[in-house]
Amino acid sequence: MPLLCVENLCIGYHTKKGLLKAVEGVSFSLEAGSSLGLVGESGCGKTTIGMALMGLLPPNGAISEGRILLDGVDLAQLSEEELRQVRWRDVAMIFQAAMNALNPVQRVSWQMTEAISTHRPELSKDELLRQVEGLFQLVGLPLARLHDFPHQYSGGMKQRAIIAMALALNPKLIIADEPTTALDVVVQDQILKETKALQEQFNMGIIFISHDISIVAEVCHHIGVMYAGQLVESGSTDQVFYAPRHPYTQALVNSFPTLTGEKKKLTPIPGEPPNLIGTIPGCRFCDRCPRSEAFCKLEPPQWQEVEAGHRVLCDHC
Amino acid sequence: MSPQPPPINVTDPILALERVSRIYFTKGNIFGRGGQRVVALNQLSLTIGRGEVFGLVGESGSGKTTAGRLIVRLEEPDEGTIRLEGKDITHLKGRQMRDYRRRVQMVFQDPYQSLNPQVSIADSVAEPLITNRIGDPRDYLQRVLEVLNTVGLSPAEDFVYRFPHQLSGGQRQRVAIARAIVVQPGLLVADEPTSMLDASYSAQIFDILLGVRGQMGATIIFITHSLAAARYLCDRIAVIYHGHLMEIGPAASVIANPKHPYTQALIDATPKFGRCEAVPVYGTLLSAPREAADLAGCPFFPRCRRAERLLCSRSYPDWHPAGPEQVALCHFAQPDHGAGAPAPGEACRLGGA
Repeated sequence: MPLLCVENLCIGYHTKKGLLKAVEGVSFSLEAGSSLGLVGESGCGKTTIGMALMGLLPPNGAISEGRILLDGVDLAQLSEEELRQVRWRDVAMIFQAAMNALNPVQRVSWQMTEAISTHRPELSKDELLRQVEGLFQLVGLPLARLHDFPHQYSGGMKQRAIIAMALALNPKLIIADEPTTALDVVVQDQILKETKALQEQFNMGIIFISHDISIVAEVCHHIGVMYAGQLVESGSTDQVFYAPRHPYTQALVNSFPTLTGEKKKLTPIPGEPPNLIGTIPGCRFCDRCPRSEAFCKLEPPQWQEVEAGHRVLCDHC
Repeated sequence: MSPQPPPINVTDPILALERVSRIYFTKGNIFGRGGQRVVALNQLSLTIGRGEVFGLVGESGSGKTTAGRLIVRLEEPDEGTIRLEGKDITHLKGRQMRDYRRRVQMVFQDPYQSLNPQVSIADSVAEPLITNRIGDPRDYLQRVLEVLNTVGLSPAEDFVYRFPHQLSGGQRQRVAIARAIVVQPGLLVADEPTSMLDASYSAQIFDILLGVRGQMGATIIFITHSLAAARYLCDRIAVIYHGHLMEIGPAASVIANPKHPYTQALIDATPKFGRCEAVPVYGTLLSAPREAADLAGCPFFPRCRRAERLLCSRSYPDWHPAGPEQVALCHFAQPDHGAGAPAPGEACRLGGA
C-alpha cells in the first residue's frame, strides 16, 4: 500500500465573485521513501494541495470531494483535534518563506523544543534539548548557535532550522513548499542535496512543490505537472522531462534556459491561465495550446497512458 | 593589493567603470559604536561595448545590484569614475543629470513593488515622457500604445486603463520594461527581472529584452544569479564575488570553460536541467569556510578548496588569460590545462538515479 494516496481531490475557495475551484479531480500516490514534485505556474493549485494535506486550508477553503489517504486514514474526514494529532507527527511541512516561518521574538531552541513537547509531553527538558541538538547536527547547524534568535541566522541557516523542525518528530511525509525560492544559488544547492540525503536516510516521503522545473528535476523521483487546478501529466522524472507529452509540459520545458548542451531559442508560452471561477467545459490549456482543435474546448480531455506509469491528460497524445 | 582593471579591449565602449568602490556603514548600537564597514564594491573596473548584452553574475551580497544602482546613479560611488561615452558622469547634477536619466534606465527586480498601485498603466508608462519633457503630450497615448505592443502586451488598448493589481506578475514586469524603454534609453540596466516571476514567464522577459536590443540598439546590463539565464541572454559576462571582479569573458566560453574556482562553484550549484549525462563537478567550494585571508590576499581564499595558504592568503592575484577574450583573477588560472580541469563526472544527477 502506498504511503499517501490522493483520490479525485477537489478543493474550492469561496470568494466574493463566486466559488473558485482551485483544485479539481487531482489523483496521485506516493510510496514511502520516494519523492514527488508538483510543478506549475502560480495559481495552479499546488500550494493548495500542500495545505490540504496538512489540514491547513484557510477558512474560506474546503475540500469538496475526494479522499486523502495517509496509511489508509482519510485525512479529509478527520476532526480538527484528530488532525492536530496527525499534523507534524505524521505529516510535516517546510514552509515557503523560511524568513517568516520562525518566531522572531523566541530563541530557535525554544521554538524547536516547543514543537516536540506539544506532541510528546512526557519528555523532560533535558531530553528535549538533547533531541534538538541531534537535529541541529543532522542539518549541519553549529550547536553554538542553538540559543540564538532567528534574526541572527542567515537565510540558509533559517531554512536549515525549518528543515530540522520538520524532521523533529520523524514524520512519514514531508511537504516542502518552494523551500529554496528565497535563497541564493549556492545555498539552494546545499539545501537541496541535504534534503535529498535526509529523505533517503529516514525513508520519508517528500512532496516537493515548486514552479522551477530545474529544481524539481534535480531532487524528485516522480513528477506531477499541474495546470489551472488539474494534474495534466505525471510519471517518472525521466519520462516527464525528457519525453514530455502534454503540450503544456513541452512548453514549460522549452521555455527554460539550460546551462549545457545546444543553445536553442526559448519559446515562451503565450497567454495567461484561465480564470478558475465558474466552470470550464473543455481542456483548460486549449487557448494557449498549439495543437488545440475545435472539440478541445467543448469536452473534457481524458487520461491517456502513454507508457507504463506515464499518464497525460490530453486527447492528442 | 589594489585590483587592476581586467586586460580586455572593448571596441566602441559605451560605459566604463574605472576603479569604482562603494562602502556602506552599518549602524552599530544606539551609542553609534560597533558600526562596521561593508565594502560592497572594491575598485571594480568594467568596460561595456555598445549594443552588448552584458551579464553581471554573482550570489546575493556579491555587489552586483550595487553596481547596477551606481550605473543608473541611484547612488554615487565613494571612489572611482563612471563614464558614459567617455564623459564623466560620476557626480553629475541638475540638467545634465536629467539628460543622463533619459539615456540610462533601469528595470527593477520586483514588479509587485516597482509599479504604483494607484496609477493606471497608461499613466505609469507615460510618466517618464512627462518628467523628461519628451515630445508632444497629445502624442503620449499613441506612444504608450506602441511601447506596450513592443513588450508584447497586445492588444495594448486592453491594457492601458488597467491597474497593476489586474495584471499577472509577468505582465507587470513587461509594464516595468515598457516604462524604462519609452524614453528610448541607450543603456538599460535590468536587475534580476525574472527572479520574482514564475519560471514560465522568464522566457517572455528574455525575448523582450533581446527585442529591445534588436529594435532600439540599446545596450543591456543584465544582473542575475542564474548562469543558465546569462548563457541564454548575454554576449559577455562578468562574475563578481564580494565586490571583486573574478572572471570576465564571452558568456559561452566562461560557462563552458570557467577558470576561476568561484565561477566553477557557481556552475556546480546550478541545477543541470535538460541533460542526463555525466555532469562534470569542479568541487572548488569548501564546505566550511576557513579563516579569512589578511587584507592583501585573494578575496575568495576563505572558501576556495584549491587555494594554497602561503600564496593565496598573502598576495592579491593578477589577471590570468583563461581563453580568447577571457581572463580570471586567480593565481592558478591557465588557459585549458591545470586548474580548470573538472573532476571525473558524477553519474546522472536526476532523482531516478
